Amino acid sequence: MIFVSVVLSAFAAVTLWWTMHAWRTPETLAATRFAPPDGEQHLTFSLLLPARHEQAVLEHTVARLLESTHEAFEIIIIVGHDDRETAEVADRVAGTAPGRILVVTDHNEVKNKPRALNTALPYARGEVVGVFDAEDQVHPELLEHVDHAFRATGADVVQGGVQLINFHSSWYSLHNCLEYFFWFRSRLHLHAKKGFIPLGGNTVFVRTDVLRRANGWDGTCLAEDCDLGVRLSSRGSKVVVAYDSTIVTREETPDSLRGLLKQRTRWNQGFLQVLRKGEWRRLPALRQRLLARYTLTGPFLQAFSGVVIPIGVAIALWARLPVLVALLTFLPVLPMAATLMFQVVGLRDFGKEYDLKIKWHHYARLVVGAFPYAVVLATAALRAVWREYTGRRNWELTAHVGAHLTAPAIEGSAA
Amino acid sequence: MTAVELAKPISVVPDLTDGVREGKRKPNADLVIALGLTVLIVTLLAWNITGFPTASDDEGTYLAQAWATQHGRGLAHYTYWYDHPPLGWIQLAGLSWLPAVLAPELIAVAAGRIAMLPVQAIGLLLVYLVSRRIGLPRWAASLALTAYGLSPLYLTMGRQIYLDAFAVVWILGALALALSPRKHLWHFAAAGAATATAILSKETIAVVLPAVLVAMWQNTARSSTRPWAFGAFASGLVLVGCFYPLYAVLRGELFPGPGHVSLIGAWEFQLGSRTSSGSVFSSGSGASSLLHSWLYYDPVILIAGAAACLAGLALRRVRPIALAGAILMAVALRPGGYLPAMYVVQVLPFFAIALAGVIAWAVTTLRPGRVWWRWAVLGTMISLSVLVVAPRWYVGDRRALSVDDNAPYVQAADYLRGQLPGREGATVVVDDVLWLDCVNAGYPPEKVIWFYKIDLDSAVAKRLPDGWRDVDYVVSTPAMRQDPNSLPTVRTLLTRSTVIASFGPAGGQIEIRRVDKETS
Repeated sequence: MIFVSVVLSAFAAVTLWWTMHAWRTPETLAATRFAPPDGEQHLTFSLLLPARHEQAVLEHTVARLLESTHEAFEIIIIVGHDDRETAEVADRVAGTAPGRILVVTDHNEVKNKPRALNTALPYARGEVVGVFDAEDQVHPELLEHVDHAFRATGADVVQGGVQLINFHSSWYSLHNCLEYFFWFRSRLHLHAKKGFIPLGGNTVFVRTDVLRRANGWDGTCLAEDCDLGVRLSSRGSKVVVAYDSTIVTREETPDSLRGLLKQRTRWNQGFLQVLRKGEWRRLPALRQRLLARYTLTGPFLQAFSGVVIPIGVAIALWARLPVLVALLTFLPVLPMAATLMFQVVGLRDFGKEYDLKIKWHHYARLVVGAFPYAVVLATAALRAVWREYTGRRNWELTAHVGAHLTAPAIEGSAA
Repeated sequence: MTAVELAKPISVVPDLTDGVREGKRKPNADLVIALGLTVLIVTLLAWNITGFPTASDDEGTYLAQAWATQHGRGLAHYTYWYDHPPLGWIQLAGLSWLPAVLAPELIAVAAGRIAMLPVQAIGLLLVYLVSRRIGLPRWAASLALTAYGLSPLYLTMGRQIYLDAFAVVWILGALALALSPRKHLWHFAAAGAATATAILSKETIAVVLPAVLVAMWQNTARSSTRPWAFGAFASGLVLVGCFYPLYAVLRGELFPGPGHVSLIGAWEFQLGSRTSSGSVFSSGSGASSLLHSWLYYDPVILIAGAAACLAGLALRRVRPIALAGAILMAVALRPGGYLPAMYVVQVLPFFAIALAGVIAWAVTTLRPGRVWWRWAVLGTMISLSVLVVAPRWYVGDRRALSVDDNAPYVQAADYLRGQLPGREGATVVVDDVLWLDCVNAGYPPEKVIWFYKIDLDSAVAKRLPDGWRDVDYVVSTPAMRQDPNSLPTVRTLLTRSTVIASFGPAGGQIEIRRVDKETS
C-alpha cells in the first residue's frame, strides 16, 4: 500500500510538472506563442480534409478555409465511395471554387482516417501538407502564421493549436476542453523541446517531401497522428509547436459520453499500438526513449491512478490503518489535488483567452466532475487494452453535430 | 526540435542578483559576505551556549517531545493534546540526536541547544537572501544580518530551543521563494509548502501569511503567470497544511468529545479560554513585564525596528517585510490576549530587515554624492547611532558570552544521576528541564513525572492511586515554584517534603526534596 502510494504520487507529480510546463516562468509562456507573421507568403499548401458522414459540418468548414488570407493553397476533400451524402456536399462546394478544391474518392474497403489521407497524398501539389478534420473551425490567418513559422525556424513539421470550445455542453465536455487546453497550451511544447512528440490529429503541417519519404500515414494504426509524430521524431525531423488562442483551430467535444468513450478508447489503443511498434526505440537519446515510453503508457497510468487514489483514500479513512500508513496513503492526493487546483486556474485562463464567460457553476462542475471523468478515462483505458488484446482494431468513428458552431449563439459573448 | 522562438521575450527579471544561483557560477560577493557574517554570529551563539541563558521549562518540554518522537513513543511522552502542531519538535528530533551522541556529558537542554545552531545559521543566511531579494544593496543586507545577529536579544533567545526558530526559518524561506527572481511556478508552490511547514512548526507564525502574499503579489506584478503563481502557492499551502487536521481525523480526534483530546478543542482553549497575559500597556501585567524583559536585553532593535516597520509600509520594496513586522506588533499589542515568552523570536528578523530597508532608502534618498553637507549629515547619523548602539550591545553580548546561569541545573542533574539515595523504583517529580536528564540517567520514563501533569493529565493521575503519597522525591525549581496555587498536588508535595540537597543561590535554588509520607 505504501509502495503503491509512493509510486502513484511520483507519477502524478511528474505528470503535473510536465502539464504545467508552459506556465513555469513568464519567459516559457511567452515562448509558446506564434511569432507574428512578416506579411510575406512563400510556401504553397495542400490542405487535406477527410470527411466521413460529416455532411452536416463539411460545407461550413470549407467555407471557413476558403476565407484564408493566404494566396497559395488547395483543399483536397477525401470522401468514401460508399458515402453518397458527404460526396454530394463535397462536389457542391468544389463547384464554388474550381481549381482550389479537389475531391478525391477513397476506394479502400476498410475506411479510416490514415487510409483516406494516404489516398490524397499523391494528389498534393503544395510544398506543405496540412491536415484538418471536417468539423474544424480554422482561422483565416492560420496559414500565414504557419508559413512564417516554417521559414523562421526551418522546421519540417509545424503543429498548431487545437481547442475544444463547447465547454458548456455537458459535464464531461468541460473536462475535455480543459484537457485540450493543457495539452496544446503547455504539454506539447515540452515534447517539442525534448525531441519526442506525438502529433495532434489536425492543424498539423508537414513538408510534403518529408511526409512522402516517411511513406505517409500508417493505415493500420488507430492513432495515426501520434504514430507519424513518433516516426518523424525518430528520424530527427524538426518539429515546432506554436499556440495562439486567436488563431487556434476550434473543435467540438464528442456529442455523447459514449462517443467520448469510443474516441478515447481509439486513442489509447492507438498509443498502445505505437508503443508495440517500437519505432520510438530509434530515438537517439535515452531520455527521449524514456519520455516516449512514459508518454505512450501515460493514459493507462493516469486512468489507473485517477481511480485508485480516491479508493485508497476511502480505505484509509474507513479502515483502521496505522496512522502513519494512512497518512502516506494521502501522499498521491497532493499532486492530484494540485492538478485540480490548476485546472480551476486553467478554466479561468481558458475563459479569458477565448473570451468566454465562466460562471461559478462551471467551477463547481469542474471539481465535482473530476472523479467521474477519471472513471470515464479509466474505462476507456481498460476498453482499449481489452480490444487490443482481443484483436479488435477497427475504427470507431465519433459523430459530430457542430455544437462548437452554435456555441457563440448560446454564449452570446464568444468570438 | 524547439518551440517557436519569439524575437526576444522582454526581460522580466528585476536587476537584483539571486544570491544562491549566482554562487553556483562563480564565487560571488554575496555568498562570501553572507557566509562570513553567519559564521561569525554562529560562533558568538555557540560561545557559552550551555551557560547562558538559564534553561527554561519550554526548552525541556520541546526537547522531551523530540525525544518521544525519536523513541517511537508518538508525538509526546504524555497524551498529545494538540497544544502545538508537532512539526517543530519532529524537526528537532531529526537534529538533537547528534549532539546527544557527541557530548553525552552535557545536560540535555545544553546538548539540545547545540542542535539549534544549524537552524539559526540557515535563518541568518535567509535574512541576507530575503534582504537582497527585496532589492537591498549588499551593505544593507549585511546590516540586516548583523543587526539581527548581534542584537543581545537574539544572542539570548537564539540559543534557546524554541519552535519559533523553526517557524522563522521556514517563513523566511517562503518569503525568499515568493520573491524568486525567476518567478518559477514551482518556487511559488514551494513557498506555499514552506509557509505551511512554518505554521505547522509554530502556529502563531500564521499571522505573517499576508506578508508572504503581498511579496508574491508584488513579485508577479505585470507577469502573465500571476494567477498560476497564486494557484501554485495555494496548492502548496493547503496540501501540506491539511496533513495536520488529517492526522486528527484519522485518529478520530478532530472534534471534541468525551474521553479523548481533540484538535478543535485545543484550538478553542488556545484562542478562547487561555488566561490573558493582560495588556502590554498596563503595568504589572504579564505582557507588560515580558515586554520589559525584552527591552532589558535590547531596546535598540525593538524600538528602531518597530519604527522602521511602520515607516517601511510606505516603501514598496520593504512593504512585505514591514507588513510582517507590523502585524506581529499589532497582535502583541492587542488587549486581553496571551503573549508567549518567546514571541519576540518571530519578530526580530522582520524588524532587522525593515530597519536595514529604511536605512538603505534614507541613504539612497540623501544621495551623498559630492555635496559635503550631505556627507556630514550621513556621518553624524552613523556616528550617533554607533555611539548609542555599540555600548548597549557590547554589555548585552558580553553577558551572553560569559555568564554561567546553568550551574545549579548541572549540579542537580549530576546528583540525580549518581547520588540520589534509593533511586531504584523511586517516583520522582521534576520540571521539564530535568526530565530528560533523569531518563538519560536510567530512570524509567513512567517513573519521572513532569510536575504539572500530576494535576492536569488524568492518565498520569491514574498511575498514582494514592496521589502525592505515591511520589518519593520532588525536585523543586523556580519554574515549579512560580505558580503553586493552580497545582494543588504540587503544592502539597512542596510543603510535605524535606530538602536533602540544594544547589544555586537563594531564590533561584534547585532543591532535591524527599517526600515525608510518615507525617501525614
